Amino acid sequence: MAFDVDFGWTQVIGNLVLGATGADGGTRRISYRLGGGTTLPFLENENTSPAPLIAFEVCDSPVYWSPIIRNYCGDLVNNVGEWAKTADTTYGADIIRLYLTSTRQRNFSDIVSVGKTVETVLSASGLPLIIEGSNEPKIDSEVFQKCGETAQGEKLLLGTAEAGRYRSIAAAVLAYDHSIIAQSPIDINLAKQLNILLREIGVPRDHILIDPYTGALGYGFEYSFSAMERIRFSALKGDTDLAMPMICSATDSLTIKEVREADPAVQDEMAVQWEFTTGIAAAAAGAEIICVRHPRTIPLLREAFAGLKKRTPVPGVA
Amino acid sequence: MALKALDIYKLLPKKNCKECGDPTCLTFAMKLAGGKADVDLCPYLSDEAKSVLGATTRPPIRLVKIGVGERSFAVGEEFVLYRHEKTFYHPPGILFKVYDTQTADEITAATVRVRDETFTRVGSDLRFNGIAIENTSGSAETFALAVKAVEDSADLPLVLIAESQASFAAALVHCGSYRPLLHAATGTNFREMCALAKQHGCPLAIRSDSLEGLVNLAKACNSEGRQNLVMDLAPVTLGDFIIRSTAIRQLAITRTAPDLGYPVYLDAAKTGRQDAATALGIVKYASVIVTNPLTPGPTKAALTLRQNIYTDPQKPIQMNPGLYRVGSPDKNAPVLMTVNFSLTFFTLQGYLESTRVPCFMLIVDTEGLSVLTAVAAGKLSEMLVRDSIKKFGVEEEVSHRKLIIPGYASPLSGRIEEATGWKVMVGPRDAAEIGEYLHEEWK
Repeated sequence: MAFDVDFGWTQVIGNLVLGATGADGGTRRISYRLGGGTTLPFLENENTSPAPLIAFEVCDSPVYWSPIIRNYCGDLVNNVGEWAKTADTTYGADIIRLYLTSTRQRNFSDIVSVGKTVETVLSASGLPLIIEGSNEPKIDSEVFQKCGETAQGEKLLLGTAEAGRYRSIAAAVLAYDHSIIAQSPIDINLAKQLNILLREIGVPRDHILIDPYTGALGYGFEYSFSAMERIRFSALKGDTDLAMPMICSATDSLTIKEVREADPAVQDEMAVQWEFTTGIAAAAAGAEIICVRHPRTIPLLREAFAGLKKRTPVPGVA
Repeated sequence: MALKALDIYKLLPKKNCKECGDPTCLTFAMKLAGGKADVDLCPYLSDEAKSVLGATTRPPIRLVKIGVGERSFAVGEEFVLYRHEKTFYHPPGILFKVYDTQTADEITAATVRVRDETFTRVGSDLRFNGIAIENTSGSAETFALAVKAVEDSADLPLVLIAESQASFAAALVHCGSYRPLLHAATGTNFREMCALAKQHGCPLAIRSDSLEGLVNLAKACNSEGRQNLVMDLAPVTLGDFIIRSTAIRQLAITRTAPDLGYPVYLDAAKTGRQDAATALGIVKYASVIVTNPLTPGPTKAALTLRQNIYTDPQKPIQMNPGLYRVGSPDKNAPVLMTVNFSLTFFTLQGYLESTRVPCFMLIVDTEGLSVLTAVAAGKLSEMLVRDSIKKFGVEEEVSHRKLIIPGYASPLSGRIEEATGWKVMVGPRDAAEIGEYLHEEWK
């Protein structure tokens, strides 16, 4: 009797390409093909789908970032180019996720600086990039347009689109051939609805990444875990509007009470474990990009994913 | 194929002897039909009736109890692959592992930690469940001393991990009547292990790295009269564990392989990545998790993950509606209204505590719905707020008439003002911003 994990799935998780190398008209050192899963995460008999990717989150205005990270990373947080480069060469990230937090200042209008920041990060690291644009609908259009244009040809991910707010991002994605992060509030039906809306305005399926929204561990994570499991299940059962790879970013991990108020001697450990435990569980539920903010979370996740992809052959068993 | 309660009743002795713990054979039949009882509880069943009932009425995964007394725990009796299909019922026991080559002080320290350490969150006390003792030395005498050191400090559920019968026998002198889990029966020693388990009434772990091996062992142990089994899938890597445990859960709950219907045992310490293995065991079907003592970060993260995953998705955890105090608020302190979804309550409370502004939290009864869903579903209304202010005597507690409501409830602000006569202030949507809000807006 083999370990039979064929549950009668009929469909494959769709692909999404992140990052373009020189051969594909970009300047990235590496490019990733997400998706391709044929069963529940980590159950493929052969390693047909890659291990989840780890994205390190940086920002261009660290006043909005957790003091835990500002302390740990030191002066780097004031130089987003150097920070991204360090994430690539020292921390060992797969992807850089850039939050344009500078755009959150009141009456922000310096769109030129947005382009410069994106250029800086693109030249500092050869990793594929995710860009999180403004939080302010009034400037969305200009910000995303600028990001998309500056990174034309790089096949990056732009985010984050929500049901009431996706047109500006979709426009930039379509105009410059990037992909889009579609976020819904922990609800499989709303996730599907947003994907349909995006498709209707012309965003192809293989340019959509689902963000089911990740509540922090202890603060609603179980809802996100189940939303991810349901999305993966529906996709494998044949729902093409949900058959996209997923991203997990538990952005509140570093602000919840257990981490924020941890004893200073163990605060880094607490932050890392909160991100790590969330990342492992989300990957087991189906997330393919796991975002973290603490550099020390990266090697732990990397090792765990390697262990998850590794099988010991059992003698006499298929 | 499930039988109906009346069909089952026909096969029962109809003596109403109560020896199964139920008042009548009919109520026992109803429990059997719901998969909530085991046929073995009835001492008067014919072998024929047993074989008919056994396969169809037993829960697909057997309930196994480890330890005795207050800290004992039961695992198994799970019905689904995904928690959203129903819920997961029995959270895994997490046991700290000690080795008999460690000093008595080290062993005692780990034991006392499990005995005393409590982490309270969202109104629940979270704890580790027991101690696993490994006979690393190979010596029966040393093993017995280690077990005695644990027994001298606490009455906790135990796992005894050893190879030799002599070691088990020596250890069971100290803990034989407390239902420790014996680890492990294999293809070569199962007869002796079953005899030991039978003698002391202990649950027994069986170990094999193949499904066939586990099926054969389970059958062999059954024929030796042992039903209270857990299964060690002998994973070497995390990948081994997830694929084996998922396959077993699926085959068991669909009753495709009823002989795999036992809780799963995981020694996280043996995977070389124990924090990851512990987390993975929690989300992917482990019922007994053995790990070296965890440091503070993994401790809180693992206990929180277990609490999250084993929360019933159909029942939001609710707070009792009422007026709660943060610090020692006086007559001028702000009043913040929110819903009785426990997550909302504890998140807001956490941030309010760190602002150090004494205040009142007015918790209204939205049947556990969050602010956003309560507004959308009409469960949060101006009448509810008005009635809650009266019912919980808020007007006697403060001399002002200002109410801070959650940002997501802003559509109701005008109606709440009209219904209550209080001035409504719309707070932030995100509880994380409440400190800043109070400092800027509350004068």
